[in-house]
Amino acid sequence: MDQKDSNSICEELIFSGFFKANVKALRNYLYFKFGNEEKANDITQESFIKLWENCKNVPIEKAKSYIYTIANNASLNEIAHQKVVLRYAQNNTHNDRTNQNPEFLIEEEQFRQKLEKAISKLTEAQRTAFLLHRIEGKKYHEIAIMLDISVKAVEKRIHGALITLRTEIEQFK
Amino acid sequence: MKAMEENYELAKWLAGEMTEAELITFQNTPEYATYAKIAEYSSELKAPDFDHDLLYQNTITRKKPVQKVIPLYQSKWMKIAAVFVLFLALGLYFKTTVTSTEIAENGKKINFSLPDNSQIVLNSGSEIQYKKWNWANNRKLDLNGEAYFRVAHGKKFEVNTKLGTVTVLGTQFNVKARENRFDVTCYEGRVKIVHNNHEVIITKGTSVTFDADSFEKQSIQNDKPEWTVNQIVFKKEKLQHILDEIQRQYDCEIILNSKENLQLFTGTLPSDNIKTALDIVSATYHLKISKFENKKIILEDF
Repeated sequence: MDQKDSNSICEELIFSGFFKANVKALRNYLYFKFGNEEKANDITQESFIKLWENCKNVPIEKAKSYIYTIANNASLNEIAHQKVVLRYAQNNTHNDRTNQNPEFLIEEEQFRQKLEKAISKLTEAQRTAFLLHRIEGKKYHEIAIMLDISVKAVEKRIHGALITLRTEIEQFK
Repeated sequence: MKAMEENYELAKWLAGEMTEAELITFQNTPEYATYAKIAEYSSELKAPDFDHDLLYQNTITRKKPVQKVIPLYQSKWMKIAAVFVLFLALGLYFKTTVTSTEIAENGKKINFSLPDNSQIVLNSGSEIQYKKWNWANNRKLDLNGEAYFRVAHGKKFEVNTKLGTVTVLGTQFNVKARENRFDVTCYEGRVKIVHNNHEVIITKGTSVTFDADSFEKQSIQNDKPEWTVNQIVFKKEKLQHILDEIQRQYDCEIILNSKENLQLFTGTLPSDNIKTALDIVSATYHLKISKFENKKIILEDF
């Protein structure tokens, strides 16, 4: 028992490490879901506070699913969703594109805008899964844990998201 | 089964799980170019930044996420409560500080009770001010004129006048403070009088008179003031003061056209028959009523 306690999430060092490892994914997951930063930050904080308060009852290996359960439960009350606003990374200097001609750069910018518009057409489920994969670099099985669904269901959402995005983008042409 | 597999092949491709053969087939489809671009550009996207450290600090100090705060003043119930409290405070303020006033105008006598059931008869042209709040513990009143007190037993009872202070326990007494003359008569119990730093204690059946420069103590027989039974009793009183008293009792105006007469009057006048009262005064001071109409009386030397 003693050994288990010293390894527990109640140890601030362990908690802090867990927080750092998971805060961004949880917060961005909630942001992809709601499109509202404030709400995402609030629920993220609430989830970690609950974990910290109940650290004695949550084994470290369950901590991750615990915070996602708390966050998902808190999300049930949130109805009004806003448009998800994303930015493109500033330092996206692909070597093969640095010296492209202006026409190509304009095309590139246009595609980015089309992609953003298309993302806003996705369902909440598709959007959340797709952005967790693309932006957070989460594997399908990780996303499955976060959303509390099967890996197959994640694949279905990603697949559906890609089809919607392509159709939307090609429509804009 | 095949349809199901196909359904998820895009997901497989995005995760890099396609076999060589599958990938080549997919790359030859017309849609591939767009999918490739989607994959490339979507990985460049970023969610808005946030403050990890702040979130951590808030978590570790167990500060709950900031709730949407509705300022107190915007809450309807707080407004109602505030108004209620304000009225309550105002009510209390007035109760504690505002004085009750009883006035007996000229020609009238009034009878009233204090909160402790002490009885007061206020003679004509007199006024009493007191505070109802906490009366039982603070029995103090201001008298201007003449009043008869039947004080209920209790704490110290204090009558303040311009001329002096009368302090009693449970008793019956009369206080008359007119002009410079201060009369106190005790009908029951003991009364302490303070007048110009001069302290006197009188007992039942005693009367004291402080004038501008004199002090006199007498015995009395009555068990209550004569004025309460419509008699005006004077003891060695000046003419002007007698006329003042008549004016108060009958609410009239008396003009005296006469030489100064320093004779002092001792006797009783009725306070319910002005003609008799004036006749007695006229006979004593050798005056005549030259005019008597509509509450205006002129007295002249006979």
